[in-house]
Amino acid sequence: MTRGIPDVRATEGRAPDVFSRDGWVPMRSHRDGEDVDFAIVGTGAGGGVMAAKLAEAGFSVVAFDAGPFFRPLADFASEEREQDKLYWTDERISDGRDPIELGSNNSGRAVGGSTVHFQMVALRFRPEWFLARSALGYGRDWPVDWREMWRAYDEVEDALKIAGPVRYPWGPRRGRYPYRPHEVNASGLVLARGAEALGVGWAPCPIATLSAPRGRAPPCVYRGFCKIGCSTNAKQSILNTYIPRALAAGAEVRDLAMVARIETDASGRATGLHYHRGGEWRFQQTRNVVVAGYSIETPRLLLNSAGPAHRHGLANAEGLVGRELMVHVNDAVWGTMEDEIRWYKGPPSMAVTEHWNYEDRKDFHGGYAIMSQGPLPTDFATSMVGNLGAFGMDLRRRMAGYNHMAGLKIVGEVMPDPENRVTLSDETDALGLPVPRITFGYGENDRAIGRHARGFMSEMLRAAGATDLFETTGTAHLMGGCPMGFSPQDSVVDADGRAWSCDNLWICDGSVMPTGGGVNPSLTIMANSARIGHRIRALAARGELARAA
Amino acid sequence: MTDAPRPYPGYDVLAKWDTPSWDAITREVVAHRLDRVPERRFFEPAEWETLAALCDTVLPQPDRERPIPLAPFVDAAMAEDRTTGTRWAALPTMREAWRRGLAAIDAEARAVYGRRFHALPADARESLLRAIDDEDVRAPEWRDLPPRRLFRHVLANEIVRIYYAHPDAWSEIGFGGPASPRGYVRLSANRRDAWEADLERPKRRSERRK
Amino acid sequence: MRPRVPSERSRRAVALTALASVGLVAGAAWVSRRRPPRRRPEGSRAARQVRQGAALLAGSVLADSTMEHYRGGFHNRTMFVAPVSSGLALVSALAPGMMTRRARQAVNAGAVGAGLAGHLFHLRNVLRRPGALSWESMFYAAPLGAPGAMTLAGLAGLAATRLETGQPRGAEALRAGRIGSLGTVAGLLGTTAEVALLHFRGAFHNPMMFAPVILPPLAALAVADAARRPDRARLRLARILLRATAAMGLAGAAFHAWGVHRNMGGWRNWRQNLQVAPPLPAPPSFTGVALAGLGAAHLLEEARR
Repeated sequence: MTRGIPDVRATEGRAPDVFSRDGWVPMRSHRDGEDVDFAIVGTGAGGGVMAAKLAEAGFSVVAFDAGPFFRPLADFASEEREQDKLYWTDERISDGRDPIELGSNNSGRAVGGSTVHFQMVALRFRPEWFLARSALGYGRDWPVDWREMWRAYDEVEDALKIAGPVRYPWGPRRGRYPYRPHEVNASGLVLARGAEALGVGWAPCPIATLSAPRGRAPPCVYRGFCKIGCSTNAKQSILNTYIPRALAAGAEVRDLAMVARIETDASGRATGLHYHRGGEWRFQQTRNVVVAGYSIETPRLLLNSAGPAHRHGLANAEGLVGRELMVHVNDAVWGTMEDEIRWYKGPPSMAVTEHWNYEDRKDFHGGYAIMSQGPLPTDFATSMVGNLGAFGMDLRRRMAGYNHMAGLKIVGEVMPDPENRVTLSDETDALGLPVPRITFGYGENDRAIGRHARGFMSEMLRAAGATDLFETTGTAHLMGGCPMGFSPQDSVVDADGRAWSCDNLWICDGSVMPTGGGVNPSLTIMANSARIGHRIRALAARGELARAA
Repeated sequence: MTDAPRPYPGYDVLAKWDTPSWDAITREVVAHRLDRVPERRFFEPAEWETLAALCDTVLPQPDRERPIPLAPFVDAAMAEDRTTGTRWAALPTMREAWRRGLAAIDAEARAVYGRRFHALPADARESLLRAIDDEDVRAPEWRDLPPRRLFRHVLANEIVRIYYAHPDAWSEIGFGGPASPRGYVRLSANRRDAWEADLERPKRRSERRK
Repeated sequence: MRPRVPSERSRRAVALTALASVGLVAGAAWVSRRRPPRRRPEGSRAARQVRQGAALLAGSVLADSTMEHYRGGFHNRTMFVAPVSSGLALVSALAPGMMTRRARQAVNAGAVGAGLAGHLFHLRNVLRRPGALSWESMFYAAPLGAPGAMTLAGLAGLAATRLETGQPRGAEALRAGRIGSLGTVAGLLGTTAEVALLHFRGAFHNPMMFAPVILPPLAALAVADAARRPDRARLRLARILLRATAAMGLAGAAFHAWGVHRNMGGWRNWRQNLQVAPPLPAPPSFTGVALAGLGAAHLLEEARR
């Protein structure tokens, strides 16, 4: 049914040219037996940035991705079902009090990772969130100063040419976004009207799609299929930003290469990766391993990599790997407008209010951002089935109002909880690897956020003129699972992303986030990865890549 | 209550087939969907009867001379083991969940009405599914199967995804359909681009697609 | 729940307007070629240049406002005023023989008035958008500065009408030259402001986008300086910068054509890209203002003799 997933493409000294329909760019290649400086697992928001940073610093780098290497112009259809090929659809067991939806909801499987299908919302953490515990009294602190993160945000925002408002209304002053904001679509203006009626601020949402040409990428044409892969390259994903940079700087990318296990020696250091590619198991030697498989695959890989010095899984001496998995509350309110909105035009979230991220007079911890919505037909229909149990003519009648719908949805902070976690089940997948089990349940604060947000959004929508409101609940994103912290007792990695118990193992993806914040995580993952990349360069320059015993 | 909605009676999304709104891969994918309806490969004939009736209840199409094919694509997804990436812990694997789910629905129909599900009139099928969604079930086949989770998140979810991925469904709801390389210019409320369908003027069904 | 189908100005009306505009221009060209006016105005160089400037400005406004108001779906009937008024101004500049002098004055005064009213209409549009006078509205609501080009076209047309009665001499030429220079300076700076806003919206992604925000203000300075003290060196500098600005306006159209090509689908997707890519007819308005400025410089030169 799918036209399908391409075969291995990045091989024999060349990789796909993502700006062409069928072209290639040269790629440096390494043998399995060659001891490369860095082997990176995953090429998404964390791994893709890291591959470019390390290759540009002169290291030899091989980056592995389980997914295919797409050329958006030729491979991405304007059709939802076909584009299921972007998602991680291997079955994973979703368990707990509030089991979360995986697959298209949060897990990409392609070179470029989930950024190939992300909504492009590029918001920064509020500075105080890096000291959530000591400044705001909840969650945990990041072992990183917010100014260092903000410098990294500057860097990745420029790398993605984020199109954002001339003046962002919340938080400390920041430099100007590299590109100007897009025209806010009708759906976004519903949010704007609601916000103005309730006296809270709003802004055109900073998003990672071009508002002016850039190199070989054209500006956005507002086709609205962003969430199922941008077929014009206007979307600035890792696939068409950091991956070409990494290749140009000499990194090798191996597509359709599933890393199963990290090999360690008797002293506990990583020596290489066992991976499956082209129908066979192979082994890549390396001096350092960087894991960036996101919050499920990273813990899964570590837990599946027990060795002589790591009895309970790699870097899991304290049993912390896989714990404190977080999502975002993704509740929404929808309504019918008299105007024809046609919310499928333009990127799905073109307007935002971060009011409740920066307002501290409220009866819950953390915060949330509200964004305007523009779901494609099956996405919207399935959310009505899942939430309302709508089916039959009732569903068809509801869907007939599609062009007059408007909606508001939050990205709401979820508190870290050690009981929300990734473990390995007894079942195995097609490659014989243990299937991960994800256990999740909301805490009381998380529920309070959802309640507060649904109430506030209902007021906003009503003020904007919507009628027949209804609510949906859900989750988005993944964070945590291998938190970054201050000591081996409280975390899996240190502030440099280096595993406490394995000095040549690094993690640079969303799994190291100690808290989730009330914004979409991709920009923070990228910034943190860029920051860790700088740290690795600095450590290497001082000859400290191997930690003194 | 069974009237099918027709907000855009003259609109046919396929009229844009030969324009810059449709690129090569999209034409290829949609043509494949329209022209090659898969044969039954996975389900047994008796399961197929229940499946077809289930599809017809989740998305009834009494208004269409040629209904959007749903059951064949569910069957194809099972044959290809095409999963969503989420296995709800309370449920077995996708294929198993479908098999047992269809059997349970059929058993429920027999328990309540004394007839097989596909032999029931439409309104009885609908109220049976409502009861299942309300977890009000009596057939022993449910055992450990959570009815609502299974119905909403596995069965109906897949059927609805197939229906709203079909051009006839896009036309039904007035969705602009594929848009690449050409997107949209007029983003404000109540404005349409020249290449968007003029909804006031009914058009003949496009003859462009052979 | 039957959704309300929005009403929109019919496409036929839009097409007819466009067709009429094109016909008007073509007709004007035809008339001026085949049937020279009975009483050709006393063609001084200044008058000719001012008239050419007026024609270019009016042509630029006609094309640009037709395109932009089409993009806006002509949702308000008054949006037809801009192409009609600039079209008439264009005819009066291209084929003065087609109208009486009084009619030409009326047409150009009308363009001035329509331009000024346009600012108000656009301001209303901006204030109605959420965010009101925000950057977002400046970028994407009706452009506040754009109707100024039509005012300029009308003023240049009025000046051309005035000059055709005969080349002023001496003190009169100095006065006329200074008034013309003032208009040129205002036109250059106003157009620059509009370009600066739009090129800022485009994040100056191509360094050439700085040219039209640097060169015209320099030309404006030189023109102002020359008007204050019209000596030979100053006039020479003003002329050089005005000619450069005029050339830049034409080059700008070529750059914008390249811009259309760089958008998704390029020229093949022209129906979208002519609307969203950089506007092809906009840059020549600089050429129009510069030509009018050259006419003013000529008057100053005349006064100096």
